[in-house]
Amino acid sequence: MSAPLVSAQGLGKAYPKVHRNADRLRALARLLFNLGDDGRIDVLRNVDLEIMRGESLGLIGENGAGKSTLLKLITGVLTPSSGSVRVNGTLGALLELGAGFHPDYSGRDNIAMAAALYGLQGAELRDRLPEIIAFADIGDYIDEPVKHYSSGMVVRLGFAVIASLKPDLLVTDEVLAVGDESFQKKCVRWIEDYLAGGGTLILVSHSMYHVQKLCRHACWLRGGEIAMCGDVFDVTQAYLAYHERKSAAVPERVEIARAGHEFSVLGVELNGVDSEQPLLIDFGSTLRIGVRMRSREGRAPVLAIGIVRADGTPVYGVGSDMDGSVPERVGVDEYFGAIEFADMNLLPGSYAVRVHPMDPEGVRLFDTVERAIVVRGASREFGLVRLGHRWLTGAAKNPDER
Amino acid sequence: MSVAALTLRFLNRELQNRFAGSFSGGLWALIQPLVQLAVYSFVYVRIFKAQLSGVGAPGYVAFLAAALWPWTAFSEAIVRSTTAVQDNAALIGKVALPREVLVLASVASSFLVHLAGFVAILIVLKLAGQGIAISGLPYAVLLFAPLFVLTLGIALIFSAVQVFVRDLAQALPQLMQLMMFAAPIFYERGLLPVAARGWLDLNPFTFYAESFRAVLLNYGTIDSLHLLIAIVTATVTLLIGHWVFRRLDPHFEDFL
Repeated sequence: MSAPLVSAQGLGKAYPKVHRNADRLRALARLLFNLGDDGRIDVLRNVDLEIMRGESLGLIGENGAGKSTLLKLITGVLTPSSGSVRVNGTLGALLELGAGFHPDYSGRDNIAMAAALYGLQGAELRDRLPEIIAFADIGDYIDEPVKHYSSGMVVRLGFAVIASLKPDLLVTDEVLAVGDESFQKKCVRWIEDYLAGGGTLILVSHSMYHVQKLCRHACWLRGGEIAMCGDVFDVTQAYLAYHERKSAAVPERVEIARAGHEFSVLGVELNGVDSEQPLLIDFGSTLRIGVRMRSREGRAPVLAIGIVRADGTPVYGVGSDMDGSVPERVGVDEYFGAIEFADMNLLPGSYAVRVHPMDPEGVRLFDTVERAIVVRGASREFGLVRLGHRWLTGAAKNPDER
Repeated sequence: MSVAALTLRFLNRELQNRFAGSFSGGLWALIQPLVQLAVYSFVYVRIFKAQLSGVGAPGYVAFLAAALWPWTAFSEAIVRSTTAVQDNAALIGKVALPREVLVLASVASSFLVHLAGFVAILIVLKLAGQGIAISGLPYAVLLFAPLFVLTLGIALIFSAVQVFVRDLAQALPQLMQLMMFAAPIFYERGLLPVAARGWLDLNPFTFYAESFRAVLLNYGTIDSLHLLIAIVTATVTLLIGHWVFRRLDPHFEDFL
């Protein structure tokens, strides 16, 4: 466990700009005779990465973030423009669709070729061929040219070859998405066995479900750089929150000039901290929200508290008047209201707390202040909140028939 | 991954590819040259009445065949392998492999096919009573070695450059035709004006055209100086080809 299986230092890749045909000729001359660089487009910058044997890493990021480029650099298909990458072991890669199959040849021929590319030949290949064909499970299509295959079949074939090779490092690029349900399950099961047997995985996927299921660590690439690396749940949640924020229509803020208003918010404390920074809390812990408000009329306002997901979807809202609570007077025209949520059942992710003072009748809403909170935790449950539940087993299944 | 095994695998695929979809398969490798030979003998001997002067000169068809088949191997190998890298763009983009293998397999397949055709033609000509020196056949096969090295060198350069400048494959058939007529394939050196004869040696194929005739037809001789020059030329070409290919190889993916 000493040397990392994959190590990359300062890895970068830039593509030359070739808009016009004359650029190609100039590029050729430049490469042959070592002339200086001209216009290049950076797709990956300064990536440092170390992957130990037995680790499973998910690469996530938007389209064009450089995920595939990073994979191609690791597999050696691309040559880095800067920095270096080293892999100390055998490597099996499924990059995009097809895995380099030739459309005119039969599945069987392509298996032989793909296996030869991975250094498998002769008797060894003959021994494994039935196993590969059985894993791909595409029936008589195995002797048809690959151009007649559906994209799912191509992936099946590619995965079957890799599965039989059992490489030290498996690199896959969004391939699980194409297979049908049963084949996906087969692949996921195989990858789980492979990981349990000490295999190392780099998975690129837009399916957070697959990433969370198969990977223990994740790296988030944004604009060609690593934005975040770490535990898979932390990274995927941050990534999803980023998307929620991006897609959220500018929240319908009731932007009313604060000065000159009857009621306004003076300060918001989350668990005793008044800060613009998002508050990190653990799933199941306690959240206390305290709000200082100004009331010009000398009447205690109603405090309304709402929790929304980062994209603006309402989760829960409650007003102090509903429960018959009245904010305390703490100074001249200043009132303080506080609420506690014990056992926060919000599922891990990013949320916002919105606080509003309302008139004492609880009819009109003034001012809005929003604070972000991030709920941390490892959970694969879906949705926004955990609903209390228990799984029924045995006798408890039919309580009526006792 | 063993380069030799991989080359064999690609070579196998190339050969399969040539005859895929045809009923007679590999038989075409023999039928094609025979038909071609029949056409040439009809056109040149019956219509043009071509013949060589001098006592003990071989028949024109044998004279032509001895140089034309090696030429076909040479020129076809270059034309085909120039696009060898480009044609495998899909593979190059997905699997890390030594890309020289693609060029090597392509050149080797052309040579294998035409070498087989060449031997068949020589046997047919011999049976037809032409003065083919079958004893020279091993030397002829040996002559293919430097020719192969030369071809591979050129092919490495062309296939790498083709990735960047796609015009090469378009211009190549014309260039090869020019080179063909600039070598003593359809004619012999003695037919040229004395002043022009020396220029033929600038064409690397001239040596091969004349040498194949020397060993197979006992027509002319191979002198050791020219043999040495040919071997050096072939080796240097391969070295340059390898250098160019290595140099451009890391950037193929950017331009494919």
